[in-house]
Formats: sequence, structure tokens, C-alpha cells
Amino acid sequence: MGELKADVVVVGAGHAGCEAAAAAARMGSAVVLVTLHRETVAQMPCNPAMGGIGKGHLIAELDALGGLQGWAADRAGIQFKILNRSRGPAVWGPRAQCDKEIYGRLMLRLMEGLPGVTLVEGEVEGLLLEDGCIYGVRLEGGVRIEAPAVILTTGTFLGGLLHTGEDRRPGGRFGERPSTGLGGELTRLGLELRRFKTGTPPRLAKASLDLERLDVQKGDPEPRPFSWRTRAVRNRCVCWVTRTPPEVRAIIRENLHRSPLFAGAIDGVGPRYCPSIEDKVVRFPHHESHTIFLEPEGVNSGSIYVNGLSTSLPQDVQERVVRTVPGLEGAAFLRYGYAVEYDVVAPRQVTRRLECREVPGLYLAGQLLGTSGYEEAAALGLLAGINAVHGLRGEEPFVPGREDAYLGVLVDDVCGREHREPYRMFTSRAEHRLLLGVDSARERLMAEGRRLSLVPERAFHVEQERWRKRRLARTVLEEARINPNAATRERVRRVAGVELSSPSSWAQVLRRHDVDAENVAAALSELEGLTAEDRRIVVGMLRYDGYLARHEHERERLRRMRHIPIPADLDPASIPGLSREVAEALEVEQPQTIADAERLPGITPAALAILTGRIARGGGGE
Amino acid sequence: MATASSSGLSSVLHGGVDTIVARATPAGRGALAVIRVSGPETAAVAQRVCPEVDTGSGWRAGLATLRGASGETLETAVVVAFPGPRSYTGEDMLEVTLHGSPYLVEAVIDAFVAAGARRAGPGEFTRRAVANGKLDLVQAEAVQDLIRADVAWQVRLAREQLAGTLSRRFAEVRSALVCLLASLEASLDFAERDVVVEPGVLERQHDRCRGLVEELLATASAGARIRDGVRVVILGGPNTGKSTLFNNLCGSERAIVSPHPGTTRDVLEAELDLEGVRMVIQDTAGLRSGGDEVEKEGRRRAVGAAASAAVVLLLWPTDAGEGEEAPETPSGVAVLRVRSKADLAAGDPLNDGWLAVSCYTGEGLEALRERLVRLVAGEIADLGGEVAIAERHRRALEQAMTELEACDLSRPELAAEGVRWALRAVQEMTGEVDSDEVLDGVFSAFCIGK
Repeated sequence: MGELKADVVVVGAGHAGCEAAAAAARMGSAVVLVTLHRETVAQMPCNPAMGGIGKGHLIAELDALGGLQGWAADRAGIQFKILNRSRGPAVWGPRAQCDKEIYGRLMLRLMEGLPGVTLVEGEVEGLLLEDGCIYGVRLEGGVRIEAPAVILTTGTFLGGLLHTGEDRRPGGRFGERPSTGLGGELTRLGLELRRFKTGTPPRLAKASLDLERLDVQKGDPEPRPFSWRTRAVRNRCVCWVTRTPPEVRAIIRENLHRSPLFAGAIDGVGPRYCPSIEDKVVRFPHHESHTIFLEPEGVNSGSIYVNGLSTSLPQDVQERVVRTVPGLEGAAFLRYGYAVEYDVVAPRQVTRRLECREVPGLYLAGQLLGTSGYEEAAALGLLAGINAVHGLRGEEPFVPGREDAYLGVLVDDVCGREHREPYRMFTSRAEHRLLLGVDSARERLMAEGRRLSLVPERAFHVEQERWRKRRLARTVLEEARINPNAATRERVRRVAGVELSSPSSWAQVLRRHDVDAENVAAALSELEGLTAEDRRIVVGMLRYDGYLARHEHERERLRRMRHIPIPADLDPASIPGLSREVAEALEVEQPQTIADAERLPGITPAALAILTGRIARGGGGE
Repeated sequence: MATASSSGLSSVLHGGVDTIVARATPAGRGALAVIRVSGPETAAVAQRVCPEVDTGSGWRAGLATLRGASGETLETAVVVAFPGPRSYTGEDMLEVTLHGSPYLVEAVIDAFVAAGARRAGPGEFTRRAVANGKLDLVQAEAVQDLIRADVAWQVRLAREQLAGTLSRRFAEVRSALVCLLASLEASLDFAERDVVVEPGVLERQHDRCRGLVEELLATASAGARIRDGVRVVILGGPNTGKSTLFNNLCGSERAIVSPHPGTTRDVLEAELDLEGVRMVIQDTAGLRSGGDEVEKEGRRRAVGAAASAAVVLLLWPTDAGEGEEAPETPSGVAVLRVRSKADLAAGDPLNDGWLAVSCYTGEGLEALRERLVRLVAGEIADLGGEVAIAERHRRALEQAMTELEACDLSRPELAAEGVRWALRAVQEMTGEVDSDEVLDGVFSAFCIGK
């Protein structure tokens, strides 16, 4: 029986596991990273893209803290695009189509070469426990890895069950067997599990498709990287768009009884934001047609991901459906779509440092906590890695607040609230969305990354210098007055296309609704010395000003409010507007201050506002 | 709305439900007092205090002898049993109506306590009603208003709120706001290619939100008028007998009365309750030109008071000289025209819609009171009984309105901010809205995704 010793064991080398292992190692811990197979490290088993709206925000924050995902996506990226460009900058979502093979290989090489990380192939079959505390894991075959902190990031492998039509077989991903022993271990520890479901569309052979006929989707003309580690990226491929024809509806309706979703074979709850085509046809019967995006899985890959056609219908039905779609008439299947059901740990069993309440030293991250998506997984992985190290050192946990980062929103929601479906990040989940744009991620978090020694000093100083310049530029725009005379009028007309009638600052001109601020900023000599991107950021912030001030005020209020004591005779049930869930939590936990209340699971910012309002009005019992 | 469906919450909050007792009528001496008992042990407690009462067959009043802890007879009272869940709190209940002597009431409560009940904390009955889903929180507030209301109209309004009208209206506002927010969020959280919000939808949803808030706000101001009393202003030329009428309506010599024009200089005010309709009546300076600075200021105030009043009592004396004209009244205000000093000249009492009144003989005063009540009540009746009665409702709705007015739908991330703030403003009435609920709206309205 072999034996290994480490500070931290990470079980699973997906997006969560890799971030956790890298963070812990770079903070100085000895890490063992256990994966079932070397070849499947950091796989992208579903769509070939990283980022997007909400998800791109997570990558940006991860990157500011020294995480890997943005860096890897820049290198594996083959098409870069910022979604929501027609909206304001707070909701811009950078996204990259990636070459899956390059992505996985990059991560594998990084994990193999990262000082402090030992990559081990094997299946974890049990946890080592003594007096309710964890001290390591046991692999199949008896090898023991001892470590005071264990991070589980097993993705969809716990109790995994794959469905394609009537066919179902145990599996974590296509062609991979599930992890069976570990699920039983968690149940024995008293953790409550529940069942989620997710699905993926078929993959088609590129050579079999008639792509010439279809509309092309290109990346941004000036692609922008995710990471401060990356100087530049370039687009290397396009995607294609097509639509399902009306007859798809009839084919699916005829075969619904053979769909595991509708025939009742699947108990797990699937994500509504990522429905299968059969779901879409049933729920929106009046929609004649649904959009389909054809996305290459790699720059030289012959595999096309059929985005929009997620399904678990039987193979013959999948073939019929796909071959009715324009451009796909001759499609050859490389892989059929399937649904996967898996076990997740029900919320409220981990603290915000992602440690099991009942099992000190056991941390969870990724899909195991009920999230979906590479980005959510990576974000939780990074936080688990940091907190495992802090836990070992007896340091304060690192938990960003909801008002500080999407990471804070994520942790808060995942740990504290019931969710009925795999949790995906949306910008609508962030109360302080306007403060949390991708543009401000580094300014918000990079200092933390530096403090955690996950961001090198030099990179931090380069960024700091940018922030300084942006602040300076802002002051100039705000303070320099333009007095209307022939020359200044002419200039404002030329640059901004509007008339200057009274003395104003450039800031005032740029805030006007009839001014294309971004173009003006590009032409302003006052902003000399700023990169095009920094000009855009300065102007973007300027145009949010009134709103940002309000949020800053709110953030201040939140901070002050944290010190407010909660009167002992306060009866939560008598407070109008509080949900029953929140009232119960307050009653049971009896927090002493608002700050204590805030840490309770399920407490929303709205609930805190109501609670504080009541206390401020002198509300005791009635 | 936060309503609990079972007694589950109650047991969580109170660590197992016990049986409570309290006086339900206001403290102090009254002809009658009511004592309430509520909780699972009601039958057992009743068995000890008033064994004759059959708690099994409810909703029937019966006479029963109440006995103290040592079996002594305390009082014969009317007792009604309300078996749960068809009772105010949803639990088994008992209501005892007895003579209002404070000593007797205390003795009976003591007897119930000795029999196993606990003295209830303030609001505990209502809280249990809320916990058991018998009342929602807006209704519970209405109960508080009902308890405080001291005139008939307020009682009626509070009752109607109790029936849930106001809760329903707030729920409407809430769901309209959530719908609008869902559309905005859908257009933000899903790329243009995934979600298309049909043109005109945002505008329609925005209009609906504003419309609903506006309607509620309109009733809120009327609600305040009812709570504070509808304002009636007496207006007229100098020396037309305004102060005499004012004193007469008040039933006291509040205003100084003299034969000299210009005696009243400031606005005098008194509260009045006529047949259960509460009003605030104001006496003003006579309207004429000239006079000193003080008198001019008095007139300015008189005109101001009339402009913001609900009803103006316009006085025009029977002995008015040739060529004199009645002062103008502000538009949009109900006007009751009164021919004062009717004793000075005989005439048709209801000549041209003018009501002849003499405070000297009492002629027409009864008719004046009656018409005043009808007018004021009419003002109130227009509200249809759905009134935002609490001042904080009004403030919250105004805040929401300001946010909605500022929404620029062409910049959805900023418009969404406005709607979120609007929801925050009304959340104490409507319950909080979390992002999951908004996403529910998104997923039910839009076919999302890959």
C-alpha cells in the first residue's frame, strides 16, 4: 500500500480542480491533484466557448485574482467576441470560441509543470476521517494520500447516468465511467444530495456539412484578450448560423414518448436557460423555428458543435431532426447528443469558504455544488483553493461580498440559497451590476490577487499605472472648463457633433445622450497617453456616474449598517416583506448584528434592507 | 406576499404553539369587554374556566358561568367557541364577552392563566393569523388601522383592506414591475441573437407599471384625507357670518365673532365628526379689497386654504347690497352655496341652489349638515374602498413612481436599475423580489438558449 502526503488533495482535474490546485500550490502548499485520466484534464465536454454574459465577468475576476481560465482561453481561443456590445459596458460579455484540444493540453502541461502540484491518476474511492475531521483520501487499489485539506471537484461524475433515447448507462461524460464510491461516502458523512440533469447536442463531421450556404458569424475585428498575461489574440475561424425548419416540431412531437425527459426516465432537474430542443418545442409550440449555431470544436478539428440542438432523443430521431436543417442534410454524426444525470450536494451544507459545515477540512467546488458551466466551476475552484490554504494557516477566509464581485454573488447564492436547477451566472443576479463590469474587474480585485501572491508584483504595477492614468484623465475631463467662443464651439461641433451653448466640461458633453461618447473619446487630445481601451473605460464610467454614485452610497450604507445591533426582542415574523425563509433563519440563528445576519444562508440584500429599515424605525416586537 | 401556509412557521417561531389569552377590547372601563383565548389547549382551558361551554360545536353564542382558580363564580358571560381552522387565528379560539370592569376582566384572565393559558404579547393574535395564512401582512396592518379607527368611514375602509383589496392591488404592482424587469433582464442576460424583445413590449409594460402605481397613489392621497379628515373651508365676503357658522358647526365659541368686518384674520381650524364622517373645518378671513397688511395676509391664506380644500362652503348674506358679487371659488373643488343670515329676509329656502341658513334662528342648519355629510361622503365614496391607508405606503409608491419616471428604456441596463429601485421601494408591502423570480419571468416569456 503506497502512501503520499500533501497539504491539499484536489479530487478531479476539471476547471474547478485545476484552479484549486494551482492557487493552493502558488500560495505555497504541497498539492496532490487526482484525476481519472491524464487525457481528460480540463476538458470542455459541452460547448467549445469560454465566457459570455455573466460568465465573461467571472473569467475577468478570476484573472484579476491570478486564476488560469482567462489565460488558457486566450491561448486556446480561435474566435473572440464581446457580446452585448449594443448595451452599456457593465453588461458586455467577452467570449472566446476555443480549440478544446489545445485548451486541455495547455492545462495538462501547466499542471504537470507547476511547482508544488503532483498529478496522480486514479479513482478516489473513500475519504480518510478521524473524529469527524478529514485527513486525506483513499484511492482504488489502496493508495492513501494524506492531507489536512481535501477539495472535491468531481463535476458530473457522482452517480452519473447518461441518457440517449431509451439507452442509458452509468457515466460521468461520454465514454467515461462515473465515480461510484465517493457518492456513498458523502451520504455516509450526512450530506444531503440531489439530482440534477444537463445535456449536450450532437457533434457532426465538418466535411459532411454544406456550410457554404450558411450565414457566417465572425469574431470582433479587434479581438480583445481576457487576461493581463496576454498581449494580443487573433481570430482564426468563423461560426455558422442556420435554423430548424417547421417540420422539426412534428418529428419531435411524434417521438416525445421516446425522450427520456418526457417519458419520465430522467428525475434530475435540468437548466431552463439551456433547454433541449424537445423542451423548446414543447414549451414554445408557436415558435416555428429555432436558431442553430454551428461552432468548430477546434481550429483543425473536423468536429462541429451544434449549438441549440441539445437533445437526449434516440439516435435515429436525432438523425432525422438534424438532417432536416438547411446545411445539415448530409450530416455524419461523430457523437450523438445525450443527457447526463448526476448528484450534487444540496445547498447550505458548505460555508462561504466552501468548507463542509459538518466536516472540517473538506472543501467542495464546481458542478458538485450545483453550478453549471466552466466559468462557475473555475471560480469556485479558485476560491476553494485559496480558502483551503487559509484554513490550514488559520487565516481569515477569502470571501468577496456581493457588492464587490460576481464571485461574491456566486458564493453567496450557491452556498446560501435553494436552487432548483444547475446554477448559472447571470448579470441580473448582481444587485450592483453597474459597479461590476468586466472593465473594473482588475481595479476591484487585483490588489487581492497580489496580496494572496497569485499575481506577480510587476503585472500589478503595470495595471496600477493604468488606473492612475484613468483617474487623472477623468479629473481632466471633469474639471477643465470649455468656455463657448468661436474656436471652442467649432471644436466641440467637429469632435462631438453638438452645439456648445454654455460653459461646460468635457465630462458634461460626454454625458449627453446625443453624443457618441466612445468616438469622441477616441478623438480627444485631452486623453492623450491613454490607450484606446482606457479611453473607452473612462468614458463608460463617466456615463454611469449618477448610478454609480448611488451604488457607492449603497455600498457605504451596507458597510455602516453591518455594525447595527439587532434588538433581542425583534420578531422577524412581524416584519412586512421578509420572506418566510428569511424570517425563519433569523429566528433560529438569532444574529446579534446585521453583519451576523448577512452571513446567514439565504439572506438577500433586499432582506437586509428591510430588516435595517425596521430596526431604524425603532421596531422591536410590534 | 409572505403568507405561511400552515402552523409550521408558528411552531418554529414560538418553540411549540401554546395557548394564549388577552383582552381584545381597549384597556379601561367600558360597558363590555371581550377576552380572547387561542391555541391548541383552548378546549382544555375552557373546560376549567367555563365547563358549560361546548367547544365542539362552534360559532354559537351561549351563556356560561365563569369560575376562578378555586372554583368561585366570577361572572356570567356570553361565550362563543370558534374551532380552528375557521377562526381569526386559524387555531381553536374562544371569545368571552363580559362586563367591562377592569377588575373583573383581570380576574377572568387570571382564571384562564391558572387553567393553562399564557398572557399574549402585543399583536400575538394577529401574528398567529398571519403565520397560519389567515391574513397577509398588508391585511394585518389593516387590522391595526381597524383597531385605531374611531369613526365609521375608517372602519369600513379598514375592513375592506382586511378583505384583501389593497393586498391585491400591491400584488398587481409587484407583478407588473417583475414583468418589466424580466423583459429588461432578458435583453441583457442573453445576447441579441438569443432573445428578441418585441418592439413596444417594454413601453407597454412600463406604462402599465406607471398606471398601476398612479392609481394606487391617487387613492393614497384620498386615504390620507379620510384618515386626517376631509378639509372643508368656509369662504365668503367680510361680515357674512362665517365665524358664526363655524362656531355653530363646532358647537363651541372657537372663533371671535363681532359685527365688524375683518375680525377673523388667520385660518381657524376644528375637527368635526358628523354622522361618522370626519372632517376638518376651517374658518377664514373675509374676502374684500383694502385693509391692513395683516388682513391682506389673512385673505391670501383664505384663498390658499380654499384652493386645496375638498369642499368649500361659500357664504353670501341675504342682506348683501346691490351690485355686490359673491367671491369666486377655486375650480375642481366641491362648493356648497349658503345664503347666510336668512332671518334678515324671507325667501325661497332653496332659491337657485343657494341654501338659506340662519344661525340666529337655526333655520337650514340641519339641511346644511346633511348636505355637507353627503358631499364629503361622496368625495370618499369615489375611492371605491381600495385605499392605501398608511402614510408609508404613499411614500414608498411615490419613490417607485420617481424611479419609473426616470427610466430610459433605450438604455436597458440603466432602466433595469430604475425598476430594481422601484421594487425596493415597495418591497415592504409586496415582499422582496429576488433574482430567481425575475429569471422565472424570463424563462417563461422567452425561448432561451442553446
